[in-house]
Formats: sequence, C-alpha cells, structure tokens
Amino acid sequence: MGKATGFMEYAREDRGYRPVEERLKHYQEFVVPLSDDALKTQGARCMDCGIPFCHQGCPVNNIIPDWNDLVWKGEWRRAIDILHSTNNFPEFTGRICPAPCQESCTLNLTDEPVTIKTIECAIIDKAFENGWVKPQPAEHKTGKKVAIVGSGPAGMAAAQQLARVGHDVTLYEKNDRVGGLLRYGIPDFKMEKNIIDRRMEQMAAEGVVFKTNAHIGKDIPARQLLDEFDAVLLTGGAEQSRDLPVPGRDLKGVYYAMEFLPQSNRRVAGDSIPESDAILATGKHVIVIGGGDTGSDCIGTSNRHGAASVTQLEILPKPPEKEDKGLTWPEWPTKMRTSSSHEEGCERMWSVATKEILGDGTKVTAIKCVKVEWNKDDKGAWQMSEVAGSEFELKADLVFLAMGFVHPVHEGMLDELGLERDGRGNVKGSTEGSDAYRTSMDKVFAAGDMRRGQSLVVWAIREGRQAARAVDEFLMGSSELPR
Amino acid sequence: MNADDIQIKMAQGAKPGEGGQLPGHKVNQWIAKVRHSTPGVGLISPPPHHDIYSIEDLAQLIHDLKNVNPKARISVKLVSEVGVGTVAAGVAKAHADHVTIAGYDGGTGASPLTSIKHAGSPWEIGLAETFQTLVLNKLRDRITVQVDGGMRTGRDVVIGALLGADEFGFATAPLIVEGCIMMRKCHLNTCPVGVATQDEELRKRFTGKPEHVVNYFFFVAEEIRQLMAQLGFRKFDEMIGRMDKLDMRKAINHWKAKGLDFSRILHMPAIAEGEKVYQCKEQDHGLDQALDNKLIEQAAPALERAEAVKFESPVCNINRTVGAMLSGRVAEKYGHEGLPDDTIHIKFQGVAGQSFGTWVAHGVTLELEGEGNDYVGKGLSGGKLIVYPPKDCPITPEENIIVGNTVLYGAIGGECYFRGVAGERFAVRNSGATAVVEGVGDHGCEYMTGGVVAVLGETGRNFAAGMSGGVAYVLDEKGDFRDRCNLAMVELEPIKEEADALEELDHQGGDLETHGKVDISSDMTRFDAQRLKAMIEKHAQHTDSSVAKNILANWESCLPKFVKVMPVDYRRALEEMQQAQMAELPAAANN
Repeated sequence: MGKATGFMEYAREDRGYRPVEERLKHYQEFVVPLSDDALKTQGARCMDCGIPFCHQGCPVNNIIPDWNDLVWKGEWRRAIDILHSTNNFPEFTGRICPAPCQESCTLNLTDEPVTIKTIECAIIDKAFENGWVKPQPAEHKTGKKVAIVGSGPAGMAAAQQLARVGHDVTLYEKNDRVGGLLRYGIPDFKMEKNIIDRRMEQMAAEGVVFKTNAHIGKDIPARQLLDEFDAVLLTGGAEQSRDLPVPGRDLKGVYYAMEFLPQSNRRVAGDSIPESDAILATGKHVIVIGGGDTGSDCIGTSNRHGAASVTQLEILPKPPEKEDKGLTWPEWPTKMRTSSSHEEGCERMWSVATKEILGDGTKVTAIKCVKVEWNKDDKGAWQMSEVAGSEFELKADLVFLAMGFVHPVHEGMLDELGLERDGRGNVKGSTEGSDAYRTSMDKVFAAGDMRRGQSLVVWAIREGRQAARAVDEFLMGSSELPR
Repeated sequence: MNADDIQIKMAQGAKPGEGGQLPGHKVNQWIAKVRHSTPGVGLISPPPHHDIYSIEDLAQLIHDLKNVNPKARISVKLVSEVGVGTVAAGVAKAHADHVTIAGYDGGTGASPLTSIKHAGSPWEIGLAETFQTLVLNKLRDRITVQVDGGMRTGRDVVIGALLGADEFGFATAPLIVEGCIMMRKCHLNTCPVGVATQDEELRKRFTGKPEHVVNYFFFVAEEIRQLMAQLGFRKFDEMIGRMDKLDMRKAINHWKAKGLDFSRILHMPAIAEGEKVYQCKEQDHGLDQALDNKLIEQAAPALERAEAVKFESPVCNINRTVGAMLSGRVAEKYGHEGLPDDTIHIKFQGVAGQSFGTWVAHGVTLELEGEGNDYVGKGLSGGKLIVYPPKDCPITPEENIIVGNTVLYGAIGGECYFRGVAGERFAVRNSGATAVVEGVGDHGCEYMTGGVVAVLGETGRNFAAGMSGGVAYVLDEKGDFRDRCNLAMVELEPIKEEADALEELDHQGGDLETHGKVDISSDMTRFDAQRLKAMIEKHAQHTDSSVAKNILANWESCLPKFVKVMPVDYRRALEEMQQAQMAELPAAANN
C-alpha cells in the first residue's frame, strides 16, 4: 500500500490562495484546489508508516494512509467510504481544521508533511460533486427519543450517528440557523455556509429533526427535555468569552469577538442588521486582543469591512519560527503560525498586555499597553511581569476581545439542571469506561466544548461520535457505533 | 579475528522455527559480496541448521569456533520456549561461554506481521526455566546467561536479573533513541529517518548520536540502581536468581488473567551451600590439548615471515578441529587474503577427528593420508584439502567412504580433493569452494550458493535441493541421476565441448562473481568441459585417483556421461550481468 518511494520522488505541493487584493473584496472561500493529478501525486507521498502517527495525531483517528493510497490509485469512491467511517464531516475539517495530523506525519520530521487536509477536502468535495453522499437512514427504528442541545459540530455528529442507528433525534439550536460556531463563529471566507446546509439535508433525510430558535433553559425549560426524551445530550459549546477587566472596558467600541463575528456572518447570509447594533470596522483602527484563531477571524473580517488598520496583540512571547522536532514531534508544536488573515494585512505584537482602554467618555479612542516578559519562578512555573517604563498607547476605534473562552455558559440550562462541573467550570464527565460522557444526572450526557472546554471542531466531532455511542449503549444495552 | 563474541543463532525470539529469505532483487553487489553469493539471486536461510542435528553437533561447532578464535566468547542464542532449560543445560555442558534466551517481544521492522503477532513466547518463561535447570545441574556458575526480547527499562533488567540473567540485550530501544520511529520499512530501503537504509539521501536524515545512546543507558542504569536500593542489593551479582523478590500482581482485571499461575516461574531451585548462581568461572574448552598448538609452532616461519613450510604430522580421531587454530593465526596476521598458495603444507597420516580442516585459510594446504570424519572442510576459507586412503590400503577408494557427513558445510572458498565417497549433506551451503569427490550421500549440494562441485560417482537422493548458485558436475554412469536430483530450483544439461580457448575470453569473464576462487574462467555459463577437465586433472595429480585417471584417459567417451546441474536463477543472474558488462564494454573502450 502507498508508493514506497513516493516521498522521495515528489515534492510537497499544497493548495494556494487567491491574491489578497482579490479575496478581500468578498466573503467567499479563496482556496485554490489542486488538480486531480496533483492530488494523486500528493497521495503517493504517503509512505504507509508501520506506526502511522497520523492515526493518533488526528482526533477522530482518521485512517489517513488508507485513503491517501486510494487517492493515489484514483479510487475516490472507496476513499470517501473510509474517510466517512471515522469522520462525519470531512468537508468541515478539510477546510478549517488546523490539521494536527500533518504535524504528526512522519514527513513532518523534515517539514514536508503529506497534504492530508487537502486530500481529505478533495475526497469529500468530489463525493458531493458525484452524488456519493446519500442519506443513510436506519433500517429499524428503536422508538427511543434523544434530545441534543446545541447544533455545533459535536451535536451534529452525535445527531447523525444516533439517527443512523434508529433513534428519534431532535437537535435544538438557540440561534435561527443550525451549525453553532461553524455557522456564526467561522467567517464565510474560511467556510461557506452552504456546506453546512447540504450536510443538514442529508441529516434531515436520515430523520434528524432540527429545532432552531429553541434556547433550552430560556425558551424551553431543560427539565421538560428530561420528561419528553429517553436521553439528553448537551453539546452547547463553551461560549463564555474571557473578559478583560481593565478600566474602560465598558466604552462603546469594545466588543467580544463573538459579538462581532456572528453579526458579520448574518450580514453575509443576507440578514438585515439594525444600524444601531451594527459593528463595522470600515475605516476604523481596529485592535484585536488575543493571538489565536478567533483573533485571526476578526482580522480577516475587519479587513473585508475595510478597516484603516488592524493590530493584533498577544500576551505571550513570540513563538519560535521553527520547532525542535526531536522535542515536539509528533505532538502539536508551539511555533510561529501565519494565517491567511494575517497575510491580508495586520500588525502583530507579542508580549503585550493591555492596561487600560481609553476613550472620550463614551467611545474608545486608544488603548494603553505595556510590554511584559515571562520568566520561570523557583518552581519552574512561568510568571509574567511588566517591563517598567514600557507603556505605550495605540490608537483604537474598535477593540475586539478574542482571548478564548473560559467555559460553557452556566446561566440557564446548566444552572437549572445543577450538573456537577469540573475545576475549569466545564460539565463534568469522563470519556472512557462505563461512565463515558455521562454527567452527574441520570440520562443526561455532555460532549464537545461543553464537556472539554474550548477546542477544535475535529475534537467536537470526536466527542459527538463517542457520546453517541455512549447514549446508544445507555438506551439499548449495547452499541455497534464506533468509539 | 576481531570478534569479542561469536554467536550461534539457533533461532530468534520473534520468529522461532522460521527461516528468512532475501529476494533476488535485493541482493546487490555489496550484499552478494558480504554473503559470498551472486547478485540478483535470492538468498534462502532455511530454519534448520544442516550441521546441527543434535547437542553433540552443537558442541562440536562451539569447539570449532573456540579453536579458530580462542579470544572470543562463544555464545548460543536460544528461544524462550518450553524445554529451553534442557537445551541450555546441554549448551553449558557443550562449553559455550554464553547463552542467550530470546523472547518474542523484539523483532525487526522487517519481520512478517504473522511472526510478530503469533510466534514465540515471553523471555521471562524461558529465562526462569533456563536458570532453574542450570542451577539444578550445577552448571550456572560457568555460563553467562543473557536475555533479550523487548527490553526497555531498568525494571526489565531487574526482573531479568531476579529471574536469573547476567546480561541483557537491548536493540529496539537504543534504535528508537537514535531516531527510529518504527516505520517497519527496514526491508524497503525507504527508512525516512535514515536508520535502516542504504540510500545516501535518506541517510542524511539520520539525527542519532552516540551520546543519545549513552544517555539512554545511563537512565536505564540509574533506574536499576534505584530498584536495587529499594530491594536492598549492593551488588548486581547478589540479585541474580532471587525469584523470591518477585511477586505476581493480582490486581489486573482481565478475564485472561484469571487462570494465571506464576508459581513455576517464580520457583526458587534449591541452591547448595557455597554454590554461586551467576557466571564466575570460565569454561574449560580443552584448547591446550589441541594438535594445532604443535602445528602453530612448526609453522612459525610461515606465520611470522610468510616463509613456505612443509612438514608431516600424525593425526588420530581425538584430534578434533585440526587446522582451525592455525588458520585463525593466519587470518589474524594476514587477513582473509591469507598466504600464497601452499605456504603451509602439512601432511597428516591417520584418522582425523571431527572437523578436520575447518575454516582453513588461504595458503594452508592440509593433505591427509588416511580418512576424515564429519565436517571436513567446514567453512573452508580459501585453503586446500586433500584426502586419500593410505597407499597400502586394500580397499577400493571409489566404493568406500573417505570423509563423513556435512563436509564443506558453508565453505566460502578453497579447493578439496577427496579420493573416495563422502557422506550425507556434502557441500551444503557451499558458497565458493571447488571440490572433487568420487561419490556423495543424500542431500548433496543442498542450499549451495556458489562454487563448483564435481562428483565422479554416484549421488544420494535430493541432490541440489534449494541450490541457488554455483554448479555441480555429476558423472551419471547409469543415467538415473535425474531421479535422485531435486529439480525444484535447478536444471540438468549436458556438458558441451567448446572450441574457444579460455584465455581468449578471459578478459570478458571479468568479475562476474564477487566471490570465487575458481582458477578457471569465472563464467559459469560456459567452458564447462575445460573447467571440469582441469578439476579432474588436479584431482588425479593430488590424490592419484584411478577414477580420475580413467576419465582423463577416456575423456571423449566420458564427457557425455557428465551432467551439469545449473540453478535456474543463477544462470539468469549471470546472463544479466554478462549483458550489462557487454553493454559497458564499448563505452569503456571509447574512454
């Protein structure tokens, strides 16, 4: 299997992007796919490792060498079957996954990993193109009813898995459209939203009932679900944004990233946003506080609005350009990463903390920052200290707080059910053993960010799939769903 | 002569009872040279050792090896399995300095999955049995016990010591320290970290350093020290064989663990007062009684100054392994090239003991008037052996046994002339020696990979089984040789008289075989008649053989009765090399 010498014969080649000036004019995806021939060649580079580290590197344990091989041989149909066997939504991960699989690829030892994500995306895109993605309704209905709260990737994956083994699944979503962060967190230019819609069509045909504008714990009491359903799975995500408690936080113009990004997505989707609520970066000096992926999304969106300038602040020091492979491989390394949004124009600053947000009384005008440095204390723990006299100000019309999410929102459903939480404020539940994905309350399960805290889409899919098995086992006594 | 240890690998832990094969396409020039075979011809390593069918055979090989290199420890590698203790006791009695008990957890990245997953047993089982049996037979103090098979940590070492091992073999773990990532591509030459590959580009990716391995073993040692301290041992030797310090963990909750009973593994054999249960005595190999000590003295001018010496010596059947220690000395000073032909010429009279002429080096000629025993010319390494019956002996030589079984086993070069019939398994695994004999028993030329054998008489059955190289010429007087030849890998053909003079074509023969001390043209696809005739002439000259003289006298009528045994793959490989060389010739001429 695989072409034994492929990795020596063919150079790595990955998808490119449309030019910046072109892509900034719209909100569509701007990735340029590889040709079929190029994909085949890239598939041939996979060397079918005896110990395939990518299997573990990928949170859903995608059987990567197998479909790389099939792509090389041109057997796209079989490739999608194998890909779907471990991943319900490769079209999501093929676009927005940071691809830890590629970090764990043996060829990443020499910085030339197989373009796994590109191949994954090509397989599923081709499958949709050719009509190979068909509903797989259950042959027999079990008569059991399952409620899933939260329609992000975890909820969707669990819903699809449970529907396929014959349970009546109702997927509740507090927003007007299904998808969770996929829909309202990730900008369209990274993943167009019709991609969620076509998957929803398949799921609806498999029997999943979508209930939007149904905020459990607010519109509908959570207890009501316990009465109506045989099992309840909570996949509400970790939506409590980390706040920045500094003077001036209340000024107009300071927003959470998750106030800005969903609104922008709604606008792209054609919804009308009232003038008074609109957050537009057009012609403004934008400060993004937080150096992660959400921050990147704010940059890309601001630039598409036509911001005057965008500056991103990160409190941690600038990571190294290249990791120490011997130390990090096959794990995810901390290293300098530049996203497509960064390329589109922004200034990035590291080791910077925000002291104060300055304003004219109502509106933000600037922020006051200070340089920080990180040193280890006696116990070897990193400690941050401000560099004396390094304060500086940055002009700011808009400040977006993109410093991550601390835990799920407690008010409402979680407080009402009174579920036990872990030390970080997430819903407490394990992933292994007979108690897997169970909460402290009978027949209530939790998965995804709600259980594990903020994480990747691919981890959410994994948890959704595994939780589905746990629910199925709970309902039926045993389960044939994969874990 | 530089080896510290010489190991007889009876089997390997990861795949006991299995042999190995190297397909022809992987046998390149370099590998062929190392293995004394032909590039492009597959190499078969069958599971049995055709020179070892009993513990006595093994004892003989241990003795032979010790003779040729008295400085090296002789080790025997056994596999952990039920009954290994008995074999290990035999090995200890056979005077091996060292025994290795191999468990199934190791195994190379190139082993088939079936072997890795479904063969072998844990080293703990074999080691415990070995230790207990050695102690019961009071043999433990004179043999070093090594254990290997997936050793990783200091804890493994301590458990091994408590179960009775002195030494520990590590392979996979140090490889991983050097950068191996268990790609299991060792057999494809595509190791992406440059560990198991000959590809220069890939080798550049190798990042291992000796310091890494040193570091790793420091960690292992440190863990051993910690565990020893916890157990209350001051010296490693004190810890060996202390099964009483081991206990079974009962907490493992698995249905398969229910019936486990470790009491036999953890059984402490009764140890007599004052008896040591770790290696602390040397084996007595009896080398001081070897005839070779005298021969070395007499051959001193040759050994020291490469002056030709010729002398006579009596020999009798207690003189085992005659010539090996002498050859060891030759190799030590002059390397594998040895001395010029016949520099040391010794004529023996009498009945030689086993392994006469084992590993005889180039430049050493042993002439024996009398008869040989088993293993004559085992591993012959360039020397010359001549054996014929005493002149006054009334027997008909061509009807009587002159040398025993397993003659020329694994020979890599040299010449032999035996006036008389050889026993079973003649020239098995021969890879370069030229031999003339007047009849052989069963399994002649089995697994032969090179060299030339001429049989001027009858053969037993199963001739040329697994033969992948070299050629054999058999005088088939009755015309029934085909029935006794194993035709799975060889073809039989008549010997054609060729008009071309050899000398004219000599330059084309080139270095077709990387081995080969065949003093006729090395083109084994042609010139058979000339080659055969030259061999028989030499046979007649050395042994005064009447059979040879008769054939030479009636050459025209005898030649059609000869059959050439030619391995199919061998011919293909030779022809391919010839074509390649012919293609290169014009280019070379233009230069």
